[in-house]
Amino acid sequence: MDRSQHQRLDSIRRGQSELDNHLIDEFLGGYISRREFVRKGTVLGLGLPTLGAILAACGSTTSSTGGGALKKGGKMTVAIITPSGAIDPLKVSDEGGLAVLGQAGEYLAFSDKDLKLVPVLAESWQANSDGSVWTFKIRQGVKFNDGTPMTAKDVAFTVNLHADPANGSNARSVFKGVLSKGNTTAPDDTTVKFQLDAPNGNFPYLVSSDNYNLIILPSSYTGGYESSFIGTGPWKKTSFTTGQGVSYVQNPNYWDKSALNLDSLDLKFYADDQPRILALQGGTADVISQFSASVGQALLGNPNITVLALRSSAHRQIHMRTDKEPFTDKNVRQAMGLVLNRQQLVTQLLNGQSDLGNDSPFAPVFPSTDTSVAQRAQDVTQAKQLVTTAGKSGATVRLDTWNGYEIPQLAQLVKAGAAQAGINITLNVTDAGTYYGDAVFGKSPWLDSVMGITDYGHRGVPNVFLGAPLLSSGPWNSAHFKNTQYDDLVAKYVAAIDSATQRNLAGQIERLLLDQTPIIFPYFYKHMSASKTTVGSIEPTAMGHISLKTAGFKA
Amino acid sequence: MATAIDELVALPARQVARRERLRLLWHSPTFLLGLVVVAFWVLCALVGRLLVPHDPYLPDLLSRLKPPSAAHWFGTDDIGRDVFSRVIVGARGILTVAPLATLLGTVAGTSIGLVAGYFRGIVDEVLMRVVDAFLAVPVVITGMLGLVALGPSTATLILVIGFVFTPLIARTVRAAVLAEREMEYVQAGRLRKENALYMMFVEILPNVLGPVLVEFTVRLGYAIFATATLSFLGFGIQPPAADWGLNLHDQYIYLTGGLWWPVLFPALAIATLVVGVNLLADGLAQVYER
Repeated sequence: MDRSQHQRLDSIRRGQSELDNHLIDEFLGGYISRREFVRKGTVLGLGLPTLGAILAACGSTTSSTGGGALKKGGKMTVAIITPSGAIDPLKVSDEGGLAVLGQAGEYLAFSDKDLKLVPVLAESWQANSDGSVWTFKIRQGVKFNDGTPMTAKDVAFTVNLHADPANGSNARSVFKGVLSKGNTTAPDDTTVKFQLDAPNGNFPYLVSSDNYNLIILPSSYTGGYESSFIGTGPWKKTSFTTGQGVSYVQNPNYWDKSALNLDSLDLKFYADDQPRILALQGGTADVISQFSASVGQALLGNPNITVLALRSSAHRQIHMRTDKEPFTDKNVRQAMGLVLNRQQLVTQLLNGQSDLGNDSPFAPVFPSTDTSVAQRAQDVTQAKQLVTTAGKSGATVRLDTWNGYEIPQLAQLVKAGAAQAGINITLNVTDAGTYYGDAVFGKSPWLDSVMGITDYGHRGVPNVFLGAPLLSSGPWNSAHFKNTQYDDLVAKYVAAIDSATQRNLAGQIERLLLDQTPIIFPYFYKHMSASKTTVGSIEPTAMGHISLKTAGFKA
Repeated sequence: MATAIDELVALPARQVARRERLRLLWHSPTFLLGLVVVAFWVLCALVGRLLVPHDPYLPDLLSRLKPPSAAHWFGTDDIGRDVFSRVIVGARGILTVAPLATLLGTVAGTSIGLVAGYFRGIVDEVLMRVVDAFLAVPVVITGMLGLVALGPSTATLILVIGFVFTPLIARTVRAAVLAEREMEYVQAGRLRKENALYMMFVEILPNVLGPVLVEFTVRLGYAIFATATLSFLGFGIQPPAADWGLNLHDQYIYLTGGLWWPVLFPALAIATLVVGVNLLADGLAQVYER
């Protein structure tokens, strides 16, 4: 770096906070990659122009993604998975539901396909020195689709609505232990302040599209979302039929109307992958949201179809009850982790559209993952030895799961592998509703079964995966794993702000979980969506959002 | 020296009729063709594991979804299992559930039909209205409701299919009993003040066995279809069983990719077994309804 670059960097540094400068130091010191610097910078609230200026001062440049020329007008048909319940911002907990929420609604920030946070209704954000208080500046001139202006008070109302346990919001799985009801305030019309329960270095993700329930609602909202589809998003509902689909036109009050290309939009609901794939192949749909790599082989080589495969942290968890036989002995749990041939699962079952899992929630896609931790590989001999040592050879256990995606196939592979180690597994494959039950302990095969396979969607940061299914107090702790050392490490990881500390703690957590193995994480699959080649500028995310704000047909 | 005619005259009429029916069956191409097809699948069900070239339950991901070849005559499925081996071994599941369910339905339905037809009056009215109520609901819906309530397993599948076929068989048997109850031997039994159970099960039942047997074979065809349907809908036998309906359920999603073999061969197996049983039923009906 020459003298003039140093001077430019110093002038940029002067306007930044302590945390921002720490991040710049990490980048200059070579501790984090350029990609991670940009991603982490967006979390801390450094805008893309600032990040670009810093990179330029360091002799690097930002890249931009160019899109082909799109014509104005037209109607796009998008085939998505049928929402599993009512379209209610508080209750939606599935991909179909969140894809609908994201059309008429908007978030404070959008967690894009590269896990970068793009400001939407928040223009910028900043943390205090320990990351326990975050202040967001709210975009001005935004209106809801009924013409009412959107202010910081609406933002505070929405977040408190979800943080209130009495409302039963799905977002509580993210907010529990992070943000309590009433701790989000709007000191003025442009500022929102979050006083956290504990320091949190990744907090902006938790109020972004990653926490998909959190579309901003007006402070007058009292429910009945399906009749209003109220929001600030680019699309305004014209009709909605339960189980069939939603039709939209451009929102006349949209704050960024010049970015829109399409006149109208149809979201059509399909219950299964196969008819959605047929709809795209037959031309009924222009775009399809997530499909399974194991089913959608026909699309992968089709010259008229563009397939978008996004690396993600979405995965399956194979839990083992640490308080029930035969899994009270960690040797048996480790053995179950050793019988799977993960490489074959990735290359064959998932057609290569997946990353290997290493029995912790730290997916390779997370920059904080410590990749120096040894990868667990298949070793049937050792597995058999571990089961024999534990005196559990010949034990019988039931594996509960549900009939979706490649889960039944995975269950059968686990059964075949376990048999080689001396554990006899019987399968109980039901529908999703039966498996998840009431999603509370005592009323859910998911949370009560001795062994089970559960699907988890993508998150931009591992916080939810580290907490809900693995903390001693976790509401989704199906393994009934209680380990104070683990709880302490996670608390430290969540509070950590700099990347080096996060990676160090991640390594400790990864090693602890490999040793204890309460849950097997066999792979992290890519999020696949597809469109006709005539379609441009759609932006799916691994979470399941499909942003169509700038989508259009090629000229 | 007694002639053959003398021997026949000496035999009881019932035995003569049975011999005649057997002779007709052995000369019925319909019955014989059905018998061959069903016997083949019964053989597969009994000793299928000894006949197959591969372990039908052993996954091999490196051989996933391979088309038919010399190594795998019917190809492999989505976790690399040999489809031919699974089709052969899969006969056991369906040929356990369907006949036992049909037998259960036949025993229960015959009993209800005998009681309703023999007593008539209020007993007949009540039983037949209950039967009508059950017949108003489609078989598959009743089956699915039963399996949801009891939980899917082989035992519950037998119970549920047997239960849904009971009303159908009861109605047929009742019609046959109504004709029989006016016969002189029944009137004579009543005059002798015979016990009702004795009259129904010892006097009348043997005389309505023909329609019961035909009904059993007809229902067996439907039971095979019902078993496969419930398995296909995900309400039947649990994986990794080689059950044909379950195989169809697991593999049909690959059709869009042109992968036809994991679906075609289990479907053909179901079709051949149903046709075989129906040919048997037709052959029996031709003989018993002469």
